[in-house]
Amino acid sequence: MTLKNTRMPHSPAWGVRFLYFCLLWLWASWWMGDSLRICYENSFFVADASQMRFLLQQSLGWIAAIGRAFILPMRYPWLGGLILTTVLFTATMSIARVSHLPLRWRWLASLPAIAWMTWVAWLGLNLYYQSEPGTPFGWLVIAWGIVVILDLLLTPIYKRKRVENIPEKVDIRAFFFLPLFIIPFLTTHFRHPYQRPVTQMQVQLLNQDWEGMSQTAHDNAELSYRPLAAYYAIALVHTGHLTDQMFDIRLDYDTLYLKRYGGTPDIGTSYYNIDCNFHAGLFRPATRRAMEHLTMQGPTLYSLKYLAKLALAESDWPLASKYLHILRQQPFEGEFVSRYSAMLNNADAVRADTEMATVMRTIPTHDDFESMYQEPIFLGFNAVRMEFPSAEALMQCLMVNLYSKRMPDFLYRCQPLIGGTPPKTIAEGLVTQSIKNPSILQAFPSLNMDAQTYRVFISTLKNELKDRQAHARALFKDWKGYYPYYYFFGNLRATRPTPKESPTDNGAVN
Amino acid sequence: MKHLYIPFILLLITGCTSSPTLPTDYSSVKQQAPIYPDYRDITIPVNIAPLNVWVQDSLADEVVVQIGDMTVGTDSDGKTDIDAELWRSLLAKNAGGKLVMQVYAHRQQGWVRFSSDTIHVASEPIDSFLSYRLIEPGYELYRQLGLYQRDLTSFDEFAIYENNRTYDDEHNHCVNCHNYQAYDTERMLFHVRAMHGGTMLIDHGNVRKIAIRHDSILAAGVYPSWHPTLPLVAFSTNKTGQAFHMLHPEKIEVIDEASDLLIYDAEHNTVRNLLRTDSCMETFPCWTPDGTRLYYCSARVPEMSQDNSQHELLMHYDSLFYNIYSMPFDPATRTFGEPRLEVDAASQGKSASVPRISPDGRWLLYTLGDYGQFHIWHKSARLWAKETDTEGLGQELFSQHGSYHTWSSNGRWIVFSSRQDDGNFTRPYICYFDNEGKAHRPFMLPQRDPESNLFLLKSYNVPELSKHRVPVSAEELQQAVYNQQAITAEYESSR
Repeated sequence: MTLKNTRMPHSPAWGVRFLYFCLLWLWASWWMGDSLRICYENSFFVADASQMRFLLQQSLGWIAAIGRAFILPMRYPWLGGLILTTVLFTATMSIARVSHLPLRWRWLASLPAIAWMTWVAWLGLNLYYQSEPGTPFGWLVIAWGIVVILDLLLTPIYKRKRVENIPEKVDIRAFFFLPLFIIPFLTTHFRHPYQRPVTQMQVQLLNQDWEGMSQTAHDNAELSYRPLAAYYAIALVHTGHLTDQMFDIRLDYDTLYLKRYGGTPDIGTSYYNIDCNFHAGLFRPATRRAMEHLTMQGPTLYSLKYLAKLALAESDWPLASKYLHILRQQPFEGEFVSRYSAMLNNADAVRADTEMATVMRTIPTHDDFESMYQEPIFLGFNAVRMEFPSAEALMQCLMVNLYSKRMPDFLYRCQPLIGGTPPKTIAEGLVTQSIKNPSILQAFPSLNMDAQTYRVFISTLKNELKDRQAHARALFKDWKGYYPYYYFFGNLRATRPTPKESPTDNGAVN
Repeated sequence: MKHLYIPFILLLITGCTSSPTLPTDYSSVKQQAPIYPDYRDITIPVNIAPLNVWVQDSLADEVVVQIGDMTVGTDSDGKTDIDAELWRSLLAKNAGGKLVMQVYAHRQQGWVRFSSDTIHVASEPIDSFLSYRLIEPGYELYRQLGLYQRDLTSFDEFAIYENNRTYDDEHNHCVNCHNYQAYDTERMLFHVRAMHGGTMLIDHGNVRKIAIRHDSILAAGVYPSWHPTLPLVAFSTNKTGQAFHMLHPEKIEVIDEASDLLIYDAEHNTVRNLLRTDSCMETFPCWTPDGTRLYYCSARVPEMSQDNSQHELLMHYDSLFYNIYSMPFDPATRTFGEPRLEVDAASQGKSASVPRISPDGRWLLYTLGDYGQFHIWHKSARLWAKETDTEGLGQELFSQHGSYHTWSSNGRWIVFSSRQDDGNFTRPYICYFDNEGKAHRPFMLPQRDPESNLFLLKSYNVPELSKHRVPVSAEELQQAVYNQQAITAEYESSR
């Protein structure tokens, strides 16, 4: 074969490239946008090496550091997504040129990018949860750098060998990448169906969009995953609908496919424990969890922001100032820092903040040790508390008991409501006990209608009650939001053995 | 020709370094300069590293600091980076005297001069090296931690030992309780917990891993104290737990369920119980500098039912009061005499811990808090000193929080850890303790970049002074930690 006979393969037309670019951007910004934003929250990057020592001391920590720098623009998913898309796109184009693939195989150049996307999709929340968020992005940037350099070096050589220019044509084979593109989407959809709603709710939580969080949960009510339920409960605390909407979503938790440090399975309680403790007004357990997060993961925006807010809530001004000072070094956290810096040395300003004010209504009224409560502490504490600084605290306690199906504790703590009209779900909780304990209806005359509905529920589902596990899913649509349904058919898997929720093998007095 | 570049380099250096000049036209303000760390009215050793400060004046676009006759400029953030040579000669010239620190800030209206501050320079030096552990105050979990040695005359920091940097279930381990014999690093030890566990003993360059365990011993050795001359280590052995408050001003309680004292013979690798009592908990042993007495803390265990003692002890956390005792020791026969009460804190509803005797044997330095022994987490904890031949509690040294502490070998300096900077992250503070027993205002360990104290999310644990650097490298220690099997100390019945 002579040089003269060598023909460069057809390149895909610009239209195909544009489609490819758009699909990448769609994946990065729309499909994964919220996940990448939360990844950003679970990261931390500054140019000062001493502050990045935690990372740089690890083997290949510099790769993770590069990745963390790359994560920074994910603060704005459309911008971060655009940058990520550009990297994936240019890498693909460079691979196509460098590999010198014939036209019919040129679509293979998209394989590395799609493989990387599938890897990220496969990781799910483990992209950042109990793992280093910078690593996948660091490797991507390095790989991108290598192929781009190769491209710059080799393409001029190829061009010199070229004998004729062939005009670009659209070829059906250029679209072969399209079926491959479905893989990362399907991986997320089938392996981590909760990932997008959960991260969407987390972004809404950051924006204090409580109604939005609630709506997201309702839109995904059929999904049943712990983090979804946790963030939904937080939304209800702030919207004031805890006592009438808590059981609107399925609570029969499916596997998250999460791993803890070291790679063993994890049920993911640590994923939302800081959020839940904070929003339950349990500042100390939240602080402890946030410090543990900081210890295990190194500084992250997520832990530092909570630590700053918790220090403000506890009037630990120098400590809050320290955390805010560290956050001030971050390029995109000016809004957070200025909002919370205004509260320094001003307890009234802290109490005047809407979110803080809501949360502070349920802080404990007397001291105890955490170890005296069940884990996770935000449920364990509220289930057994006896003193209530506010109606919200009482309602939280009652709802936690209903959730935990601790009916004697629930009934005992309902005493302050005797004679009144209890909120919807509390009323439904009371009637589930009224057959065993008729005096409940005497104490709450307003429950007669609810009791009738309950009797209808029991008689209608007489057969289903014999095998609750088998019928739980099918009945949800008809009975969602109704507490007796949850009481008999909800959260049945909670009694199954589950993996350890967090590492304990290195827990000790330090 | 080849040295032609030198003038260019000199030109570059002189061009980049603007020598600061003191403003002549300024207005004086009565307010104190907003400097961090707070170095006002302190006494410093003649050999200490430069006291860089961060002038936090948001209105200023330029800051000049004058210390004695030295004028120092700042960077754009208002931080000084004092030349080490100039600083050393400044201190040498003013040893035994004082330096006036004057801060000038250029604001929109012109230069202002803040009220002046004084720095006293003691002629007595401090031991050159300070060892500590850096760890997040992360309550139960740990990840990256290490033991470090800081050269106090400069900003150099050396790793004595660092645990595995990357999480690994097979290698995760914690290190703690480093201790030296009589300020010398030839004999030292520290513990490794979890994977690769044992006590690392370094004896004149020879590294051994030992395990202190026996049916007759409560638990592993914990708080150590090397005898000043003999190859003996007094250990406490503690069964320790911790609990987390939901609301209390103190965040954490670290409580011993039981504790005793052990004596370990490093020469013969033997261990024996020194005090093994069910009714009392003994901890924090400390030899006197002449090696003829052993000080320790002891608390009476509250009466509890057998079946739920741990829970009950937790309920009694604020009624555990430790006193300080001492026992005479005969180095010739290696036998102990009867205990003597040194500090009766319990009778006053207080609790004393971490006894440390000054090198001249005159002073007992300890921490006094409202209850318990792990005072590093107690806001009520203060440093106290009493003369060893007097009764009573002695005197409180400062009004700020202070806990784990150590004397310098000349007895003129105390280094202690305190959370006073931000309430959460401990930093080492250095304090001059004069001939009359007066403690001067302490100052935070100087750093090249004072802001690094704010960025550092770790605590300084267990500050210990020494005269020299640890002679064994971190790599050698790592080899020993990972590859040596711990040799179990032979148990000896008590004498």
